[in-house]
Amino acid sequence: MSAILEVKDVTMRFGGLVANERVSLSVRPGEIFAVIGPNGAGKTTLFNAITGIYEPTEGDVLFEGRPIRREWTAADRIRGLAVGAVSAVAAVLALNATALWTAAINDRYVMGEPFPWGGALGSVPATLRDAGFWTTWFAAIAAFAVGRLAFGAIWRAQRRTPDLVARAGIARTFQNIRLFGEMNLVENVLVGMDQHFRSGYWACLVRTPGFRRERERMRRRAFELLQFVDLADEAAEPARSLPYGHQRRLEIARALATKPRLILLDEPAAGMNPAESADLMKLIRRIRESGITVVLIEHDMKVVMGISDRIAVLQYGKKIAEGTPEAIRNDPVCVAAYLGTEELG
Amino acid sequence: MAAARRNPWVPVAGLAALAAWPLVEPALPASLQVGEPLTEVFIYAILALGLNVLTGFTGLLNLGVAAFAAIGAYAYSIATCEVYPFQLGFWPALAVTGAIGALAGFALGAPTLRVRGDYLAIVTLGFGEIVKDVLVNLDAITKGTQGINPLPPPSLLGTPLEARGQYWLYLGFVVATFVGVRALERSRVGRAWISIREDELASRAMGIRPDRAKMLAFATCAALAALSGALLVSRLSSSGEPSNYGFEVSIIALCIVIVGGIGSVRGTLLGAFVMVGMNSIVLVRLTEVLGSGAEGMAAAAPAADAGMLAHAWHFVRTWAHNVLLTPTNWKFLLFGLALVLMMVFRPQGILPPRAVHEDPPQPVPPGSEGVRA
Repeated sequence: MSAILEVKDVTMRFGGLVANERVSLSVRPGEIFAVIGPNGAGKTTLFNAITGIYEPTEGDVLFEGRPIRREWTAADRIRGLAVGAVSAVAAVLALNATALWTAAINDRYVMGEPFPWGGALGSVPATLRDAGFWTTWFAAIAAFAVGRLAFGAIWRAQRRTPDLVARAGIARTFQNIRLFGEMNLVENVLVGMDQHFRSGYWACLVRTPGFRRERERMRRRAFELLQFVDLADEAAEPARSLPYGHQRRLEIARALATKPRLILLDEPAAGMNPAESADLMKLIRRIRESGITVVLIEHDMKVVMGISDRIAVLQYGKKIAEGTPEAIRNDPVCVAAYLGTEELG
Repeated sequence: MAAARRNPWVPVAGLAALAAWPLVEPALPASLQVGEPLTEVFIYAILALGLNVLTGFTGLLNLGVAAFAAIGAYAYSIATCEVYPFQLGFWPALAVTGAIGALAGFALGAPTLRVRGDYLAIVTLGFGEIVKDVLVNLDAITKGTQGINPLPPPSLLGTPLEARGQYWLYLGFVVATFVGVRALERSRVGRAWISIREDELASRAMGIRPDRAKMLAFATCAALAALSGALLVSRLSSSGEPSNYGFEVSIIALCIVIVGGIGSVRGTLLGAFVMVGMNSIVLVRLTEVLGSGAEGMAAAAPAADAGMLAHAWHFVRTWAHNVLLTPTNWKFLLFGLALVLMMVFRPQGILPPRAVHEDPPQPVPPGSEGVRA
């Protein structure tokens, strides 16, 4: 069976600190996969590397068999050249603005008489020739190079950004809840749905009928998602005012709103009481039943052992074990990692 | 619990009062006739509504918004004035101005996408100063410090408008700007802006593309600022000189947004009335009243051979007249004081933004629930 998410020998290094060292995971479609380990084991770093917040120092992340990464297409080539060309034209115009304007307008326009538009641009070549090498050819070439190189540098830095990963079908929640506190619950979910909107800037500005229909449809869907995580009663509250456990569920609803095929949950049960975490387990199972693969980081062993199909254990940035809950529970290496080894002597 | 709905009649009544003002005004005593400066309030309101998109919604502090107004003012002047061959009409020139303003917004936005907070404030501050200096130094094009004039007055359907018509036209522009900005705020565009202000990383992780959203915010802000610049110069019939679009204008626009309620469209509008109203109406009137009540204060200078005491007394009287009895000279002091008081007593502004823009829909019938719609 092919994996939906494949982490291959990912190493994350921050200066001298190695947060992940050659970690490999293979998550199958439709399973609930847990990543556990003591604090500081590198679990969240691994999530950040998967979702594009960090670029792995070494190794690959494959989603549905392919790396989520922008490829240099013909359109990018044209865009790069266009940016260079615009920079060149802007530089030449800026350096010769006064001469060009004087020759094209001031020298030819007599107030009150009709302006000879036909030849307005005729003076440009002569003006630029007179301006000399440095303010025309050199400026154009230098500005072209700067614009093209800047485009290339920005493109390279943006090959794998969190928004690209989210649009590819991987959604996530955050360990330290990151909701939009001033927005209400419906709006938080609507932010997650943004990529599925069709109406553009002008449709939003003038509120076209299509925009209104879409807005109604999206609001309804957002409300359904709130019902799914059992928060419909508080739909109009600002997110900031929700209790902690509810905020975690709202984050899940917001992540589901992106219509992911894989969802990464970073400690979804943290701060929940036993009744709440029992509900959360049911929710995670329902998410899986709807066809979404779940990867979660969790410290609550009751939750982890209760819902996971497979578990990977990280310690000091390395994967020390992987297997079914039963196997992990009986693995002496994992028990030692969590409880420490018995002191001999 | 839904946020309390505001009375929908308040804006209608306010608009009706403003629209009726030019008709009522002539019947009022002279001291209450404030028509001219109200048009200035409208111009600043459009500028501040534009700034609110960038600084209020998107959270990008811009200390150089006057530069966009200057670009708009000069673009409009060059497009319409008879000393240039273009000589467009009022409406085509406004369209050109808006487009040039949006381009200027892109030009400042694109290189600063990765600059945030204090650093962006410094970049925009520099941009404001650079634009001003460029306008002075490109005198072959902009006529430098002379300014460009005369400009044709605003017109509607080919008819030039006098003061009262301009008032209504500009009021119409404020209403259109207000409605447009509100529509954006309550759509996916505004949600993307606000989500970037609240938490850029989280909004990225939800699939929002912050670069695009920020560029749109810059372009919207710049186009509205350019529009306000064009409206200003077409009313004055002159571009004025570049130093009219300096740091003070940017700061007044920012004060309007902060005093009104940063991120609040209604608040920004109210802020324009409070700040510009205080500056151009209340202080001017106060100065007039104090001045007329103390005619004798600024008496002619004593003769050269008068005693030392007479000279000293004259100095004190002149000082009192120029400083104590001329509140217009304290306007920046009062702006600063207003800001300090706001920060201490009501940091969220007079009318802070409502937390909630989107009401939940009516509950759907049971059975239609599900993750995948």
